[in-house]
Amino acid sequence: MDISLLLTEIMVALLGLLVLVLGLALPARGKTVVNRFALLGMIAILAYSITAFSQKASFFNGVYQIDMFGSYFKLLFLSAGILVMLMAGKYISRFEEKSSEFYGLMILATLGMMLMSSAGEFITLYVGLELMTISFYILTAYLQNDKLSAEAGLKYLILGAVSSAILLFGISLVYAMTGTTMFTEIAAAFTMQPALLAGVVLIIAGFAFKISVVPFHMWTPDIYQGAPIPITTYLSVGSKAAGFAALVRVFMVAINGADASFDWSMLLAILAALTIIIGNLIALSQKDVKRLLAYSSIAQAGYILVGVVAANSFGLKGVLFYAMIYVFANTGAFAVATAVEVDTGKTGIEAFAGLSKRSPMLAAIMTICMLSLAGIPPMAGFAGKFYLFAGAVQNGYLWLAVIGLIMSMVSVYYYLGVSKAMYIGENENDSPVLTTGGSTVALWICVLATILLGVYPGPLSELAGYAIQILM
Amino acid sequence: MYEFILPNAWLIPALPFLAFALIGLFLHRWPKVSAGLSIFAIAAAFILSLPIAAAVFAEEGGAVFEFSTRWLSMPGLNIDMGLLLDPLTAVMLIVVTSIASLVQIYSLGYMKGDPGIASYYSYQSLFAASMLGLVVANNFGQMFVFWELVGICSYFLIGFWFGKESAKNAAIKAFVTNRVGDFGFLLGILFLQIIFGTLNFAGLSQEMAGYTNMAVLIPVAVLLFFGPMGKSAQFPLHVWLPDAMEGPTPVSALIHAATMVAAGVYLVARAFFIFSSVPQAMTFIAVIGGITAIFAATIAITQNDIKRILAYSTLSQLGYMMMAMGVGAMTAGMFHLMTHAFFKSLLFLGAGSVIVAMHEEQDIWKMGNLYKKMPITTWTFVIGALSLCGIPPLAGFWSKDEILLAAYASGNTGLYVLGALVAFLTAFYMFRLIFVAFFGSNTYGQEKAHENSGVMTIPLIILAIAAVFAGFVNSPLMHHAFGHFVNNPAGIQPEPSTAIMISSTLIALAGIILAWVIYQKKLISHEALRDKYSVIYNLLKNKYYVDELYARLGDIFVFGAARAMFWFDIHVVNGLVNGIAFLTGKSGDVLRYTEDGQVQSYALYMVAGIMILVVVATIAAVSVIV
Amino acid sequence: MIGLPHYILLSAVIFSIGVYGVLTRRNAIAVLMSVELMLNAVNINFVAANKFMNDAAAVGQLFSVFIIVVAAAEIAVGLALVISIYQQRKSVDLNDFNLLKW
Repeated sequence: MDISLLLTEIMVALLGLLVLVLGLALPARGKTVVNRFALLGMIAILAYSITAFSQKASFFNGVYQIDMFGSYFKLLFLSAGILVMLMAGKYISRFEEKSSEFYGLMILATLGMMLMSSAGEFITLYVGLELMTISFYILTAYLQNDKLSAEAGLKYLILGAVSSAILLFGISLVYAMTGTTMFTEIAAAFTMQPALLAGVVLIIAGFAFKISVVPFHMWTPDIYQGAPIPITTYLSVGSKAAGFAALVRVFMVAINGADASFDWSMLLAILAALTIIIGNLIALSQKDVKRLLAYSSIAQAGYILVGVVAANSFGLKGVLFYAMIYVFANTGAFAVATAVEVDTGKTGIEAFAGLSKRSPMLAAIMTICMLSLAGIPPMAGFAGKFYLFAGAVQNGYLWLAVIGLIMSMVSVYYYLGVSKAMYIGENENDSPVLTTGGSTVALWICVLATILLGVYPGPLSELAGYAIQILM
Repeated sequence: MYEFILPNAWLIPALPFLAFALIGLFLHRWPKVSAGLSIFAIAAAFILSLPIAAAVFAEEGGAVFEFSTRWLSMPGLNIDMGLLLDPLTAVMLIVVTSIASLVQIYSLGYMKGDPGIASYYSYQSLFAASMLGLVVANNFGQMFVFWELVGICSYFLIGFWFGKESAKNAAIKAFVTNRVGDFGFLLGILFLQIIFGTLNFAGLSQEMAGYTNMAVLIPVAVLLFFGPMGKSAQFPLHVWLPDAMEGPTPVSALIHAATMVAAGVYLVARAFFIFSSVPQAMTFIAVIGGITAIFAATIAITQNDIKRILAYSTLSQLGYMMMAMGVGAMTAGMFHLMTHAFFKSLLFLGAGSVIVAMHEEQDIWKMGNLYKKMPITTWTFVIGALSLCGIPPLAGFWSKDEILLAAYASGNTGLYVLGALVAFLTAFYMFRLIFVAFFGSNTYGQEKAHENSGVMTIPLIILAIAAVFAGFVNSPLMHHAFGHFVNNPAGIQPEPSTAIMISSTLIALAGIILAWVIYQKKLISHEALRDKYSVIYNLLKNKYYVDELYARLGDIFVFGAARAMFWFDIHVVNGLVNGIAFLTGKSGDVLRYTEDGQVQSYALYMVAGIMILVVVATIAAVSVIV
Repeated sequence: MIGLPHYILLSAVIFSIGVYGVLTRRNAIAVLMSVELMLNAVNINFVAANKFMNDAAAVGQLFSVFIIVVAAAEIAVGLALVISIYQQRKSVDLNDFNLLKW
């Protein structure tokens, strides 16, 4: 057992604790130094984790797995975290002296996500999940004097706790029937019986909450609207990807194919279809960009779930690929929303009116990100959806792909609604929307990645291909 | 030199794209530099296209060059980015680059003084790049990517004057309607990939050679045809094209008349090996094309807006091309696509020239007598119209004649009659437009009218020359050279028939004469009355009144059908589209109220969801457990 | 003889009571207590299953300990949030917290 293989996780944990402690110890003026330190630390860890991508090991008899699947998601979480930290720059100033704790908690949430993606059994998975979720409870309610933020925090906590309890009850039933919490051993001991069936359904429901799948999605719009925008962003790209990472590993290793007599993907297919339809339909009627993006992210979760349903190399590759490009497209969109909110104090669609005249670059980036989310080629979203739907069709879920395609068409309407406001709407204020250096960098990374991965998806899809080999 | 230019043909789309990127990133503050760069890029693309065409046409029957590189790769799915250079591509390259160059030059005059010139040219460049990328694509995947891109450019250019409410709505309508078509298209592409394992045109052609399972081929072919239906505005997805005229007129000329809307026809030609192996699909295409042709032609008669008349005319001609494809005359369809591109862009640019001269007036009844003030515009417009009507020896004559011939030779007499009727109506509405707008007696606003500068008239003259001579390439005079290169073994190329030639010419002449009788003759008597014989004025005024009455009666009885068609279009087809959109929006409106802000009702939904999941799982698993 | 099914039944009943409490109690504190009840039902399951299924390895007991620890952290955060929202609105009634909707 070589502890050095855990270096990425250890460094993230140390960085998180260090930032928390330094933030407490240093006077108010030192906060910006700590914040810089947190960002640079994350970048350094990302650089290290790239070099460690192909490492492979199994700790404590398989409790913790270091493999390319986990490494891929670690890259994803770290990049998402860095982008969110970059874009948060100006927004963070409203937290005053608490800004470094904000970074500390974000880093700890990242650690939780990493544990989730690499866990080889349920206890580790649970601890990672709670580390991530509890950090997010606090971060969601971080705007202390804001009524919406506090309400969002409490709602998230109650529903999150209930969903954790549901997930745990499911795990306990599976444990009671199989006598183990290890994914591989569960697969070996899996024989279909009522209690096990209930257990698996509860586990699926628990994950469905994390990735906001209908009908477990209800928290998403409220929490996304109430939370500070950087946290909304991180919730939508990081927490969701972590949920998918854990779901894919549990589903592929422990449940699916363990007992060939029953096809679990059918249940996920129903959920995916519901999610795609309802997420997109409600998004049509939204007037607040944060809520609109929340419903859009519900719909996007539905698309990604299609890949899990397919459960073949196409589909899983699609899940990984799409989760990554979703980070860039969604962070780009949220970064623009953050800039607009900082400037106008509002996030209604009317706040975006005339943005093309105020800041043409922001409007263009928002439009490109939206087009990617809608799956219009040549943005990255198209290549991603192509993998996902092709996988579903290959596995016999033609109807699901058709629903996905139809609803993607519907989604174009509301995504373009925002573009329409930006390009066609009038705004009496025509001074440019200011962005800080950090958020400008984040915006450029997002938009370039969205276009480049769309035009040339080859390398990333190859990477995703290596990552899923462990599951096939 | 071919060694260099053939593998590097990707430069043709890349140059305009580079122009787009440079303008968008750096040059948007300097409109003149932007315009110059954009024109330079497209002109360079045109010059590069020439040696490619030369290389392709150098060989008897046309050479084929293919180059490709891997784009998406995974087990069971490989999509290439590639270049396919064959006669079909070469024709499209020449047509697109030449017309795009002329339109961009013309735009210098048309867009003069507009604050958005830089972004206009950046969109133009992006459009040119995407259209050329579409044309050189060697597989469906790549084609779809560019197919969507031209759609996006079209969206931006239709809504270019976003201050106008109608322009915004038109842009969105175009985009949404096209998505409907593209959805079917994408599904068709997915099917092709799954069944045949490749999207490459040549590869598919090989794979499909022995494939005869009609239960699979029919849906695939029909789904694929959805794309052309949207892009080429075929009934019932045609609703967006007339509204698309809200964009700047040069855009209408390039995108919504000559090139992008013809992409659907090009696709059918490109995938002709698929469609021709499915007779049912061919019939479907022919019927849709025929319906579109007659439907749009009848509506064109009632329109008073100069651009709308041309828009419906475009619809009608696109229907013509589709009909040709459907009866198996791939050569005739492509030939008409080419000639139509020249004369219809000429007509649109002429209309644009009139609109500029009349200060944004588009109603033909408020024009008149323009031929004195704007001789170049008028006479080039007349040449374009004659070409469109199919008067020999202009370009339109040769291509239209071939379509009618093919319809006749394929044994679809119904379609032939329909085609002949459309030819008659075409001549009628075009010359109604010309007699009223260019030779009419209305002099209101005339003092302002003037001929436009050289940047606008020279492209008109060049296009007029093309509208005259482009048809010869497939005439007996040049031994049907076009047909030797652009053809398909499964297609038909019937022998020329003098009877058809003469009859189609007579039909067109009849239409022109009818327009003259109704619109021109009336005006002559009207003028004579007013100027000379004030005594008989009242009497003749009565006659004029009778004329009006006739016109009214004509309106009621003759044009009743057209009106009904128009009504059907506005209320039923549009209504259906809007209705579906309304229902979708409404259901979202209702569903959002499930989100009532109460955390406990959220929890209730979760618990209920779990229960339903358990029930579903139990039902599904009951056979396994028991 | 009391076997594993009895324990599972017991825990299921307690879990359901917890769910019922979450759905019906209006007081935020009471809802958090109901969540605790759900978690304790889970603990019963784990400890009982550990005894009956795999006595040698204490995985189930270990899991329970983890759950207790994590639940404590969760509740600590939860109570802090309740206090914070009480200071703003002078209420802990969940029905009052519906600024975020639709």
